[in-house]
Amino acid sequence: MTRVSIDPVTRIEGHLRIDVEVDGGKVQNAWASCTMWRGIEKILLGRDAREGWVFAQRFCGVCTTVHAIASVRAVEDALQLEIPANAQYIRNLILIAHALHDHIVHFYQLSILDWVDIANIPQADAARAAALADGYSTWSGNSHAKLEEVQNKVKGLVAGGQLGIFSHGYWGHPAMRFTPELNLIFFAHYLAALDFQRKATQVVGILGGKTPHIQNMAVGGVMNAINLDSLATMNMDRLGMLQSLLQELIPFVQQAYFVDTCLLGAFYPEWFRYGRGVANYLAVPDLPTDAKASQFDLPGGVIFDGNLGAAQPIDNWRDEKFRAAVAEDVTHAWYQGKGPQPPWQGKTEPDYTDFRENAKYTWVKAPRYNGHPMQVGPLANILVGYAGNHALTRKWTDTAFNRISEIHGVSVTTTDMQSTMGRQLARGIRSAMLCDLALEHWQLLTNNILKGDADTYNPPQFPHHEIRGVGMHEAPRGGLSHWVMVDKGVFSNYQAVVPTTWNASPRDEKGVPGPYETSLLGNPVADATKPLEVLRTVHSFDPCMACSCHTLDATGRKIAQVKIL
Amino acid sequence: MTIAPNDVPPRISVIAIGNILLGDDGFGPVAVEMFRCLYQCSPSVAILDLGTPGLDIAPYLYGVELVILVDAVRAPGKPGTLSVYSQSDIFSGHAQLRLSSHDPGVLESLVQLRLAGHAPSEVIIVGAVPESCKVGGGISPSALSAASLAAAMIADLLLQRSVSCSRRPTPDRGNFWWLSSNQQQLIACNLHVQTETVLTGLTG
Repeated sequence: MTRVSIDPVTRIEGHLRIDVEVDGGKVQNAWASCTMWRGIEKILLGRDAREGWVFAQRFCGVCTTVHAIASVRAVEDALQLEIPANAQYIRNLILIAHALHDHIVHFYQLSILDWVDIANIPQADAARAAALADGYSTWSGNSHAKLEEVQNKVKGLVAGGQLGIFSHGYWGHPAMRFTPELNLIFFAHYLAALDFQRKATQVVGILGGKTPHIQNMAVGGVMNAINLDSLATMNMDRLGMLQSLLQELIPFVQQAYFVDTCLLGAFYPEWFRYGRGVANYLAVPDLPTDAKASQFDLPGGVIFDGNLGAAQPIDNWRDEKFRAAVAEDVTHAWYQGKGPQPPWQGKTEPDYTDFRENAKYTWVKAPRYNGHPMQVGPLANILVGYAGNHALTRKWTDTAFNRISEIHGVSVTTTDMQSTMGRQLARGIRSAMLCDLALEHWQLLTNNILKGDADTYNPPQFPHHEIRGVGMHEAPRGGLSHWVMVDKGVFSNYQAVVPTTWNASPRDEKGVPGPYETSLLGNPVADATKPLEVLRTVHSFDPCMACSCHTLDATGRKIAQVKIL
Repeated sequence: MTIAPNDVPPRISVIAIGNILLGDDGFGPVAVEMFRCLYQCSPSVAILDLGTPGLDIAPYLYGVELVILVDAVRAPGKPGTLSVYSQSDIFSGHAQLRLSSHDPGVLESLVQLRLAGHAPSEVIIVGAVPESCKVGGGISPSALSAASLAAAMIADLLLQRSVSCSRRPTPDRGNFWWLSSNQQQLIACNLHVQTETVLTGLTG
């Protein structure tokens, strides 16, 4: 038995440590640990509930808008305050653009180098690669000249011995199986992704005033002034700019990124068999299409044991089943307390020990839904939609299944989707869907404004007694909920149950492990000194530890390392 | 990134990095806001507080000529020690930006932008060694003095590159909303003292 400890795993904020025991080339046991203390919500206690979002969007440097919007939704829920339709659409467009940005960065910048071997790109035949890419996709950025240019740049890097700059490149690893041509196509898209993540950021900037920290949120709506006759406000020019940015962004997402996730699945089909993990899924409803938030473009629901036939919907943000079901357990987390606590009663008092795999070993709490660990993220989003016959989800999921089958004769089902590769593919499917939804919500906003509705804000009024609410958002990494208690206009409790807490959850009081831990069981590891396959599975969740246990490294410099214990 | 219709992207960005909720990790945002209060720059200079981006920083470095990153750094020296690093320091690992997990963010974004042909021609880091990065701790006295020095240093770095940047006759009203009112007052005093010192120096 070999024990491998990977610390840290994430290349974005926060320190995630994964310990695995490997025997016979497979993972036999796994522990996920966040090595930094959480508790940033404490900063909100006693603060004006109208300003909570300004602080909440500083929880994490990556998911800023996400926490801003969950925070205002939580206070609005507590107040039972309806917001104008324009405010819903403007928020939705910000959420969609942020998610597209995030998914593009995840796929190309954070995870693709787990599958693409840059070191063999110099051997590619650029003309063949261009012809190959043309056969797969109608995207205009795959010309022979473009691919040759990228190849020359890589040749320069390789010749200059500069590949080490990519911090976790396992070049030449036996698990890397793309041809040099496919490696070249993917790497060209990795570079092109820069242009498109920028366009998504610009959409957020136009609507939110600034990025990465938006300025336009308010409890009660948004602060965007709408006046078709004024140059300084939301007018037809601004709407036109938004539409053109979306029209430039969408072809890359639907024709390059989405197709690349299909190609990845087609050429690495064995990864539809690994990484299933916890097959319970949770998605919360999002993208409301009306002021009352009674209808949603992304359906919510729960699935247990991978059984799509028995999926249960979460109809709206006031769903009582959801409120009663969520609790957080700290048996194996470095906090005081016993047994599962509903978030409204949740406390965040530290109780640090060192890493003790049979006792406490992480700063992440263990959220449970009626006692069950749940997987959240694009896969949960897609499976819940598919189970509920959601037309847009079906359209893009079936398109993906057909593409994979055309490319390599691989047949994929919703059961295969419950895997490491399924999570990558689900993110591609969700991104393609979000493009269609971006145009739809742009149209909803435009129509509403043209109809003469310029309302964006309903002022909140705080009662003199304690109220409580939940703000939900189906964020890029999955279902997010902010649970607030507000007394005379200030926060008396604040707990954020973030997507990575669900996925990176440790074992609970019954000893049941969380999604990361379960997903690694049986994962292949060809070479324990280069656990690339473990990274593939962990990265497929898009881990972001920053808000699940905020980062604070007071002990000294940590270098990404693989320790063989 | 502030977007106005038909705007020309600024050539120069002064970028604060750090989490304002985590004590001296907020050194960058304090220093850059102090700089903004004290100096008036040409419109080609964008002043940004980016919080704690990982690889998400790429869009803000894209196509910019000169980038000055202001951040808490892990470096030898007492808390409050201020240093200036060049791009080669980042690449050689001499400048450890904040937490190590951020290094790949800036480093890889720069590599990627370079390969894609959109990298800044110059990147400078103004970094201070933090004293304490506790949740909600506010900024420590050593980081505050470093921020005050950093503001002047940013101005010097711009002037050395012929970017117009001059002292305001009276400091602009600062926006340090995340700090306690005591700390906000302390900074306001500091800004006034700095301005008066310069003016006395000029007339004397």
